[in-house]
Amino acid sequence: MVNHLTKLTLIILLGLAPIFLSAQPTADAGKGLFKNNCAQCHAKNMKSVATGPALGGVEERWADYPRQDLYDWIRNSQAMIKKGHPKAVELWGTWKPTVMQAFPNLTDEDIESVLLYVNGMYDGSLLPKSAVAAGGVTGGATKAETPSWYYYALFAFLGFLALLLARIISNLNVLAAAKDGTTVAQRTLWQTLTSKGVIGFALFAAIILGGYTTVNNAISLGRQQGYAPDQPIAFSHATHAGTHKIDCQYCHDGARRSKHGVIPAANTCMNCHRAIKVGSKHGTAELTKIYASIGYNPSDNTYIKDYDKLSQEELKAIYTKWMADSYITEEGIEAIDKAGEALVETQWNNLVSSLTNDQKKKIQGPIEWERIHNLPDHVYFNHSQHVAVGKLECQNCHGAVEEMDVLAQHAPLSMGWCINCHRETEVQFGDNEYYKSYEKYHDDLASGDKDKVTVEDIGGLECQKCHY
Amino acid sequence: MHKTKMDNKAVWIGEKDLNRDPEFLESVDKEFGGTDILENGEALVEKDSNRRDFLKFLGFGLGAATVAAGCDIPVKRAIPYVIKPDSIVPGVATYYATSYVEGGDYCPILVKCREGRPIKIEGNDLSTMTKGGTSARAQAAVLSLYDTNRYKKPMMTADGGTTEASWGDIDATVMAKLAASNNIRIVTNTILSPTSKKVLGDFMAKYPQSKVVTYDPVSSAAILEANEMSFGDRVIPGYHFDKAKVIVSFNADFLGTWISPIEYASDYIKGRKINPKNPKMSRHVQVESHMSMTGSNADDRILIKPSELGAAIAFLHGKVAGGSGGNGLNDRAKRALTKIAAELKGARGNSLVVSASNNVQEQLLINDINNVLGNYGNTLSFSDASYQRQGDERKLVKLVSEIEGGRVDTVIVWGANPAYDYAGAAAFKAAMAKVNTKIALSYQPNETTALCNIVAPTHHVLESWGDAQPKRGVVSLIQPTISPLFDTRQAEESLMAWAGMPMSGDQPYLSYLKSNWQSTMYAGGSGFATFVGFWDNALHDGVVKGGGGSQASGFNADISLAKGGVSKPSGSDLEIVFFEPVSIGNGVFSTNPWLQEMPDPVARTSWGNYLAVPINYDGGIKFLGLNGLRDGDLAEINVGGKTMVLPVIQQFGMAPGTVGLALGYGRADAGACGTGVGKDVNDVVTVNGGLSQYYNPSVSVSNGVGKEEHFSCVQYHHTIGVQAENNDGETINADEATLGQTAYGVGIPGYQGSLTKRSIIYPTDIKELKDSMARMHKDQKNFDHLNEATLYPYDEYVAEKYSQGHHWGMHVDLNACIGCNACTVSCMAENNVPVVGKKEVSRHHEMTWLRIDRYYFGDAENPNTVYQPMMCQHCDNAPCENVCPVNATNHSSEGLNQMAYNRCVGTRYCANNCPYKVRRFNWLDFTTADIFPANQPAVSKGEAVPFGADNLTRMVLNPDVTVRSRGVIEKCSFCVQRLQEGKLTAKKEGRRLQDSDVRTACQTACPTGAITFGDTNNKQGELSKKLRSPLNYVALDEVNVRSSVTYTMKVVNKEPLDA
Repeated sequence: MVNHLTKLTLIILLGLAPIFLSAQPTADAGKGLFKNNCAQCHAKNMKSVATGPALGGVEERWADYPRQDLYDWIRNSQAMIKKGHPKAVELWGTWKPTVMQAFPNLTDEDIESVLLYVNGMYDGSLLPKSAVAAGGVTGGATKAETPSWYYYALFAFLGFLALLLARIISNLNVLAAAKDGTTVAQRTLWQTLTSKGVIGFALFAAIILGGYTTVNNAISLGRQQGYAPDQPIAFSHATHAGTHKIDCQYCHDGARRSKHGVIPAANTCMNCHRAIKVGSKHGTAELTKIYASIGYNPSDNTYIKDYDKLSQEELKAIYTKWMADSYITEEGIEAIDKAGEALVETQWNNLVSSLTNDQKKKIQGPIEWERIHNLPDHVYFNHSQHVAVGKLECQNCHGAVEEMDVLAQHAPLSMGWCINCHRETEVQFGDNEYYKSYEKYHDDLASGDKDKVTVEDIGGLECQKCHY
Repeated sequence: MHKTKMDNKAVWIGEKDLNRDPEFLESVDKEFGGTDILENGEALVEKDSNRRDFLKFLGFGLGAATVAAGCDIPVKRAIPYVIKPDSIVPGVATYYATSYVEGGDYCPILVKCREGRPIKIEGNDLSTMTKGGTSARAQAAVLSLYDTNRYKKPMMTADGGTTEASWGDIDATVMAKLAASNNIRIVTNTILSPTSKKVLGDFMAKYPQSKVVTYDPVSSAAILEANEMSFGDRVIPGYHFDKAKVIVSFNADFLGTWISPIEYASDYIKGRKINPKNPKMSRHVQVESHMSMTGSNADDRILIKPSELGAAIAFLHGKVAGGSGGNGLNDRAKRALTKIAAELKGARGNSLVVSASNNVQEQLLINDINNVLGNYGNTLSFSDASYQRQGDERKLVKLVSEIEGGRVDTVIVWGANPAYDYAGAAAFKAAMAKVNTKIALSYQPNETTALCNIVAPTHHVLESWGDAQPKRGVVSLIQPTISPLFDTRQAEESLMAWAGMPMSGDQPYLSYLKSNWQSTMYAGGSGFATFVGFWDNALHDGVVKGGGGSQASGFNADISLAKGGVSKPSGSDLEIVFFEPVSIGNGVFSTNPWLQEMPDPVARTSWGNYLAVPINYDGGIKFLGLNGLRDGDLAEINVGGKTMVLPVIQQFGMAPGTVGLALGYGRADAGACGTGVGKDVNDVVTVNGGLSQYYNPSVSVSNGVGKEEHFSCVQYHHTIGVQAENNDGETINADEATLGQTAYGVGIPGYQGSLTKRSIIYPTDIKELKDSMARMHKDQKNFDHLNEATLYPYDEYVAEKYSQGHHWGMHVDLNACIGCNACTVSCMAENNVPVVGKKEVSRHHEMTWLRIDRYYFGDAENPNTVYQPMMCQHCDNAPCENVCPVNATNHSSEGLNQMAYNRCVGTRYCANNCPYKVRRFNWLDFTTADIFPANQPAVSKGEAVPFGADNLTRMVLNPDVTVRSRGVIEKCSFCVQRLQEGKLTAKKEGRRLQDSDVRTACQTACPTGAITFGDTNNKQGELSKKLRSPLNYVALDEVNVRSSVTYTMKVVNKEPLDA
């Protein structure tokens, strides 16, 4: 009987072995790899161009060459360019001087995983259902993702197995005892479960789990990744930065010269919105808020004199007139109708509630946005260091803002996140005269002792680089 | 150790050090002064607190943390500009050139503004006068802008009550009153502004019945009059301390308070810095009764009683110019002055004799001495004569008598405070009751505005337009650096309105100023093609050349009677001398907490005036204060019939039979900060011929009548290198006393901790410089030998890390440091260092990151002084770093000893282990950065919230520096925010870092250039040049902490005067 059982166990374990041992490429693994290695330069939707090209369709573009070439290209593109691979040289011609970082540690399986993920994101099969439905893509792609119930089932099975084995051992003990002529009271399952050992173990496990959860939650306390509050104005970055391709730094003009990225003043909006007075999505509903903030009368294209002194009624007269007139023009009607009046009233009420709050009673004055990216007081961050000196793209930290209708916090803004980037990011060492004072590193680079200088190397992990 | 003639190398901290006071030595051994740290937590930790309470607090703590964790993160708002000004980029500082002017005090400055609010003041290095230097007062001006005590609206007294009024009402009322007045008097302090004077002229043209009465809180009227008599030129001559080889000052504190201290300090120090290859320095002799800051920097001091000043001047005059004089002067002074006279004659044309005496005859003698010595045209000149003192208090005497005669019906007080800072304040107050209309032009309430029935509040100088002419040939502009915070109006604009002058535009005074400049400065030959160009350039630079004046004629005065007119020695056993404190002046700056907390450079007392009593050596055992008084004792003194109880500080270098006391304290109406701090002595200043004489020969001092509750002198806080004796009579380090109790006994051979001879200060005389340097270098060799025995692989670190990139270092020239504390206040402003108040100072809790340690050396009866700015030394082998259990303090690759506040858990091990005692612990939540209000310090009288909690005060905070909460250690960071900013600038411009990119706040504030900061890896840099001097040493070199701060030997130029 004992032999029988051992065999059975062995067979079961051997049957499960591939699950533990194989390194099958999966889109899930690819997601993780992409996020850690590629997302800084390549857009996640695989369709838009960021620092690096859109990755969608990469396999087709490399279809003329052996698969190995694509692997090599991803691992170390510069080496291939130097070798003179025709596709590599062609791509370099388009993208230079942007250099793709080398990833010598990626295995072929890793790259396949990433490619799976790239394809999945490109054809939409990996997107959440709702997002896919809009595109109407029905996937023929195989789902390589392992569903979570699979793990639960596995756990349940292993638990069952453990119990079974315990039972067998217990039976064997009884049999052995019987052989010796003594009798041992066999414990029931219930007795086993309520034994001191098991309860102790359960308590221990609960404390560990509880402690782990508490610490983790405490660490993330105050972090707001994904925070996307409704703003007083339904401003869409997707429209401005995406559709119209306005440079981020046109409005956020502090990013290149100040610690703050700077939320643009209303007068920056007016540069364009003196001309564009009716929005593509919300018509007059949102744009009028800018006019009401700064004191611009869109009906006669003038700034209102002594705007600060006007009462809310006077403001209402000016701006509801503009809303009504726009409605009439849009509908092509002679005079405003009931629906129009209701719309104007709604728009006006929305304007008032957006531009006023408990502290700010007047409509006039600044637009009070809800701040999304918050750092604690003891953290010093300087945009210009990263944008002007480090030459990072905004998307590195802020994500694909050009696709966001409602802006959300992309990065966790945790210290671990900062540190990690400082560890990996290479300093713009060669082209900046400032770094000449790091003579040893220059020697090391020249002699090949060092292949790159990261932010960490020049002290980027030290406390007083960010805390003072 | 107990001897009067000190070994030339030995230094001492003060009387308690010399006497080896057991209480003091115990406090040295205990970290944090041994104060009961729980005293403040009475509410939390009561005496009978037990386990149950502990559980309660634990439960509360857990509960509070849970509640805090359960709350949503509050919504924060980001509020952009509506219309962003071109000149402002949020997050980037803008600098405006302007001038700091308060009465006759003048300092051309650059104001650093962030998002439209001034946060820091820097010196303007385009100025030929101050050359970028500042004073503590100028540094602190930015805080007075945000004074909660300021007037916020115009006020008018009607029907017995004072109510807020509109400017329209004020103007209408004032104009009606003025028109009906027969005699109008405008009381001011010195006005430096030519345009303000023009406004006054226009005002007087409209109201010809008006007259201006100008006086100064500390008078220099006698100098003005003496120069008018000698040269026909009523000015203060331009003094050139840089050209003088021998400087003799009779009681003039020209480095601290006298007339133009920043300018004089900058000049003076040129003759004091030592070139070790060719050691030469000027000689400075101070004749005084009380150790002033200037006196403490002198090579020799001649001690006289205050009433002997006239005799001393007459005696020197006799020795220099011939004739007799000096009856009643003490013999020691006579002997010394005889030698000084010879030295002066030896430096004919290159000497300078100055005096702060307020006796016209004495000043005439001073003029004659300088004339006989041929100093005019060289060390003194009239082509750049100073306008920084113009007042004459005799006019106030006249005003009071006019009022009493019923002849004055309107008094306008512009900025001045004669109801406090004038010897006849009481008479002035009484007289004011008889005046019908009293108008105050002031930015904050004071004793005089309290007497007025109309208050027309003025802008703070940082909100104002204006100009200033501190001396002939130098004019500077004042421009606003922030929109007016309150409903105030420029004083000149008020006068223009009341004179019915045309008011054009939003800022009528600006138009007036511009047109005045167009017709005077510009028309006077500016070299610019257009006025706009000239004006813009002047605004940018802040200072322009111009505004010259008539030259004085030659010396022509009858001095035959002068010797008869000098003050006569009183013959009294005990006299009291009054002096202007470096910090708060004669009460003018009392409302400024930074200046109140700034210790007096010499006595190192803060928050109040302490009676300085002389220390006598009893010949055998002890140094005793007068009447056995000790530091912190209360004594009852009677001056000229007024009885006061004052705390005492024992002071070395006082003339025998003299006690000293600072003016400027005891203000009755100076807001929450200044009211009732110290005692007012303006009313016991003696008056001779209408001129204030800042001493009183009639004084008696009692024995101790108690102890001051909060003795706020910082001299015995955070001391280093103090020696004590163990039970076996062996000399040990007081702060290493515990070492002596180990099984090994005292002094493990070669163990650095047991060394009793510490390298902290190396004083020497210039004549022995070579030998002293050799001795010091020998010491250093020994230290190097000691330091070789270490496990610390310093050379590896140097090779691996510190040799590339930057390695920050600092050089402090102790020969240039005059102890003025400008750096201390600058550091507080730059680094958001909190003010803690008198009680906390008394408990060793002052938070200053940079302190100026004062040491005495030489003759115990009349010692020399050395000031040592002491801040975190950023040791490369830092003892504080090793003991931090959470690694909150650690080392950067640039050699900075970093402090991460958010990591600190407040064990204070680091402070305990710091050999320099420069780490400060936030015992309380001084700046309300904490989320639990219970941690805030107790609210003092008259305050609704603690200082630093008010939103107005908090506008001064530097947004680039973390505001620390309770329970964390902080210390000097080498202004890391400036280093990072400087590096970023260089990176953005794609060039190597330059010295000018990285300058610390203490360095930029220093009027004498004593502090040099830089990158030691930059071998061409200014710092590297200084580091090559053989005068250099590292403080506590022997403990192998590898400090990054280097000091120089203190060199004096003494002569035996009493032989």
